[in-house]
Amino acid sequence: MEPVDTRDDSMDSAGLSPWQLGMRRFRKGRLGVIAFWVVFFFVFVAIFAPIIVRLLNVDPYALDRNSINDFGLPKGPLGSMSWNHPLGVEPGTGRDILGRLIYGTRISLLIGAVGTLLSTGVGVILGMVAGLRRGWIDSFISRIGDVALAFPSLLLIIALANPMTQRLESWGVPRGNTAKLTYILAILTIFGWVYMARLVRGQVLSLRERDFVEAARSFGAGTCHLVFKQLLPNLWPQIIIFVAMSLPGYVALEATLSFLGVGLQAPTASWGIMLGDSVRYYRTDTAYLFIPGGALLLLVLGFNLLADGLRDAFDPRSDRQQL
Amino acid sequence: MKRNRIIAAIATAAILISACGGSGNGTTSGEESGGRSATADGIKDGGTLYVLTFQEGASNLDPQRVYTGAELGAYGSTYARTLTSYVPAAGKDGAGVEPDMATDLGTHSDDLKTWSFTLRDGVTWEDGTDVTCGDIAYGISRTFAAEVTAGEGPMYATTYLDIPEGDSDFGSAYPGPWLATADQQALFDKAVACDGKTITFSLKVPVADFAYTVSLLAFGPVPKAQDTADQYALKPFSNGPFKIESYEPGKEMVMVRNENWNPESDPVRKPHVDKIIWQYGLDEAVIDERMLADSGDDKNAIVYGGIQAENLQTVFGDDSLKDRRTDGFDGFVSYTMFNNETVNCIEVRQAIWLGLDREALRTAAGGPFTGEFAKSFVAPLLATDYAPAKLVDGLNEDGTPNLEAAKAALEKAKTSCPDVYAKATGDGLRFDHPDSDAWKKNIAIWIDSMKAVGVTIIDNPIEPSKYYATINGDRGDIMRSGWAADWANASTVIPELFGKGGGFNYTNNESDPNFAAFDEKVQSAKAETDRAKQATLWKELNQTIIDNVWAIPGSATKSQNLVGSNVRLGYQWLPFGWYNLGAIGLAG
Amino acid sequence: MFFFVARRSFFAVILLFVVSIFTFWIFSALPADPAALTCGKNCRPEVIEANRARLGYDKPFIEQYGSYMKGIFAGRTYGEDESGVHCSAPSLGYSYDRHECVTSLVAKTLPVTASIAIGAFVLWMFFGIALGTMAALRRGKWPDHFATVFSVVGISFPSFFLGLLSILIFVIWTNILPFPQYVGITENPFKWFTALILPWTVLAVLSASTYIRMTRNGILEVMNEEFVRLGIAKGLPRRTLIVKYVLRAALTPIATIAGIDLAFLLGGALVTESVFNLPGLGKLTLAAVINSDLPILVATTLVAAVFIVVANAVVDIMYGFLDPRVRSK
Repeated sequence: MEPVDTRDDSMDSAGLSPWQLGMRRFRKGRLGVIAFWVVFFFVFVAIFAPIIVRLLNVDPYALDRNSINDFGLPKGPLGSMSWNHPLGVEPGTGRDILGRLIYGTRISLLIGAVGTLLSTGVGVILGMVAGLRRGWIDSFISRIGDVALAFPSLLLIIALANPMTQRLESWGVPRGNTAKLTYILAILTIFGWVYMARLVRGQVLSLRERDFVEAARSFGAGTCHLVFKQLLPNLWPQIIIFVAMSLPGYVALEATLSFLGVGLQAPTASWGIMLGDSVRYYRTDTAYLFIPGGALLLLVLGFNLLADGLRDAFDPRSDRQQL
Repeated sequence: MKRNRIIAAIATAAILISACGGSGNGTTSGEESGGRSATADGIKDGGTLYVLTFQEGASNLDPQRVYTGAELGAYGSTYARTLTSYVPAAGKDGAGVEPDMATDLGTHSDDLKTWSFTLRDGVTWEDGTDVTCGDIAYGISRTFAAEVTAGEGPMYATTYLDIPEGDSDFGSAYPGPWLATADQQALFDKAVACDGKTITFSLKVPVADFAYTVSLLAFGPVPKAQDTADQYALKPFSNGPFKIESYEPGKEMVMVRNENWNPESDPVRKPHVDKIIWQYGLDEAVIDERMLADSGDDKNAIVYGGIQAENLQTVFGDDSLKDRRTDGFDGFVSYTMFNNETVNCIEVRQAIWLGLDREALRTAAGGPFTGEFAKSFVAPLLATDYAPAKLVDGLNEDGTPNLEAAKAALEKAKTSCPDVYAKATGDGLRFDHPDSDAWKKNIAIWIDSMKAVGVTIIDNPIEPSKYYATINGDRGDIMRSGWAADWANASTVIPELFGKGGGFNYTNNESDPNFAAFDEKVQSAKAETDRAKQATLWKELNQTIIDNVWAIPGSATKSQNLVGSNVRLGYQWLPFGWYNLGAIGLAG
Repeated sequence: MFFFVARRSFFAVILLFVVSIFTFWIFSALPADPAALTCGKNCRPEVIEANRARLGYDKPFIEQYGSYMKGIFAGRTYGEDESGVHCSAPSLGYSYDRHECVTSLVAKTLPVTASIAIGAFVLWMFFGIALGTMAALRRGKWPDHFATVFSVVGISFPSFFLGLLSILIFVIWTNILPFPQYVGITENPFKWFTALILPWTVLAVLSASTYIRMTRNGILEVMNEEFVRLGIAKGLPRRTLIVKYVLRAALTPIATIAGIDLAFLLGGALVTESVFNLPGLGKLTLAAVINSDLPILVATTLVAAVFIVVANAVVDIMYGFLDPRVRSK
């Protein structure tokens, strides 16, 4: 755990940027810091998955006929937990659940991270363009946003999953999970950019009127300077909060899609595939449902608490520093 | 939870001939025929039978479009009578046909190309009007209407009836009753002629077992005045002991007794219950739970869809359930097809077969209860035509892989067919399969066991509903399938799956040099009128397929069922692999 | 005011028009051949062609869209005249997979989804506002902590996991409730209630957190405003003050979001309906996805979009009545 910063804000906060100020406040929130470490743990596991799996000697892809009985169910109690398989084995094949869980972290975080990055990025750019250019470009972008928000997004994501994946494949995207991931990320971006864009547009419009932007303009500052030196630094806190808030939803989405039958493709180890499969066994092998379900819950909870912490720290109107 | 459980196999009308003499290497699974629930012990007339199912509804109620084994039996025994029907009896007696609406099993010309049947007196529709010869002809003519029946049912009418080829949707000169001009209708009326109560079929090929063919509901009657085209699938008109009072997919179907059904006219059906209520869209786990609890109305319940693999251990581990459970072959054989044009190297195909962990695949499906390792593409229940073939040398009986033999075969391929060898061990072979829950695991076993041999597998899951339509156009190197005979003759198996122009031949085996001789023999087997000789030919042909490894036989699959404790005469009717609703009844 | 309502309604109609074109386009431009999908086991090129014609997929896009729109207002006959099927207005298409007019399928499933959505809505509004108010009034004390923890844990649960958990706990382990099996409210209100109580609770737990936070923060904000301070100074009873003034002011923005959330749910609670096996719009959609039943997919997308667009418009208009500044914008 990080040592808590006990210095008083008022002492030397004068020369600090909003970013530094926020970080200082963030470190004071206990839960936020714990959440940070939870998330950090999962990210670490995801990055070093191959090494961790080898160290723990749990192969996510190796079949183990000896740990399942003739009905294909795990032999021992709790999904056949043992030293060889610390979290038990998958019914039907005897593959190690811990190993699959570790590898599955990668997919969930990949979708969460890239999905958020893309939709935030597109949102920031379109929001800025709309805010800076105004006029018909602004109206056009705003109207497209209205249309995107008028669609039932989850329904459309599911309805289009198979056909659009095939279409991507026909456009040359490699078959299988590459195409499926591309689809998921693309459609998340299509539906996800609007809120960010609206937020940024509003901020830009109000910042434009502020003195320091006006001043920069009067010195003949170009758009680039304006965007990178003046607007972005002031938008950072908003962006960070938005990122932290949308991440958990995207992380859980892969699992939801698999549950509804349109997720990734086996034999890749993913939490969604595990959960989707465990549903068939949720009464005979309950542990199998709880393990990936619990991991997903923990990760999403971690992100949500982190988001809360960041919001409290960076949003000046927030009044919940203490939890 | 209700998951998209999609049955991977296509064809369906399972006609099973005799109980198999359990070749059983299954230690836990044996034949069980239902004990007391299959007998008439204490049976009483009346009461309501419940059918619990996870299905959202009937696959189709339209007689010309039903093509699922259990449903053919269920609807045939309740509302859709045909010229002939299967004998209503447990065990192998059930596999023969007997006259139903017809007075006998038909008379035929010497060349087996003309068949006549005479209708009984007193066969009526649910409104009391007579079932006429014209109704039967009209019913059969609907099969030709692609715009309505869409080839969903069996297509024997289009392949057998003597109607010239033409440019309508099924390649016939007759486009079905809705679109036909007077001239086109005349073509059909010539092939299916009515003279009073006598119906005469003119065929373009000799068919020895046409009496079986006309037992398919697709050869049943439909009254033209009641026909609602596509919507006939929701409310068909009854000529049997039950009629459909209401049908709401996703919820329930209520079948009640048809007052205008005349028992004297029907030698086949001896209904005992007053009402049959089908409860649709139930959770599979709930069904098993309710059946095990056996309380209230569930004592009068049967299940359509079998026992979930997860619960087999519970059901078959408890001997108090002996009088309520059944376990037996369902007539299906699952198999893996090769695309013999792209994998035109027998050593590679042998290597894959030898190295495949069939035991792991069966365990993933639920173990020995799910089936026995098949030794033929013909199901064991089709006893006349079934003989276990001699499988490839070195194949392990217990289904585990023989890596040594597999590697040796692959080594041979290195020199005998370097191209295929390079592809198999390099870029890999594309494996097409339906993207079902089960296959998410099966493919891992395939990839894993092929890796041990040295063959690379490229996974290609296909949406289940589009699977066969997809591989019809774009075939991978290896493909998954399953099949059951349409009636008690391997003529509905081997030519269909491996013959030239077979409706379900995806193997591209025509490119194999051995194919010409094989297909010639298939043609002569089809024309063979001596049934014993024909059976010998089918067995030899099956051996040829296995010797050439055009496909790998998987499992002769089994199904298990559990009934409520009041159910009587709940026997598994062999032709359909399910209960006979025209006989089933309830005790006290 | 009239012009504001008119303008907002006009905008909603335009939006619906764009959405309908887009939906129709995206589904008709899919790579999988819709005609091939309705083809049975004996799928030959000729049958696919025939299906293409009977489904109208051989016509240009604009014409397909035109007849679809006409069908909505005037009814439509699908297939050839002799063997075709007529669906009366408003016709959203015909499902050859289910042999029914899509409108009647939607009409059958909508009450189920509405039962789920409205029940859940009532629950989450009640608990959301109650907990949020408690948290605000006892700020920093245990009710506040409880509400905070509850809301963050609630929002973190993957919906299907929470659903399965609730089934395990209340149905399988303790047998408190029967397995959810939907029955219409008119058929048997008690069974209707027992089938829906779990889905309602699950949806409420998932959604309440937003409302807890909004209520809490809204109340705290309003309490700081001038008129409340004045009220306190004047010695108005606390209860009157909170119920009559603070809550009313704090809840206006919540009503906005609530309307839109409800609309989204009315479009089909995909996961919940799937977990609890409830035959609503969401399950209809999922089944259509599995069977690639395009007419149903187009219809359910459109129906859901209509709910969303209408809810947005209604909420905006209501807001316009409450807050004059919105109108002039």
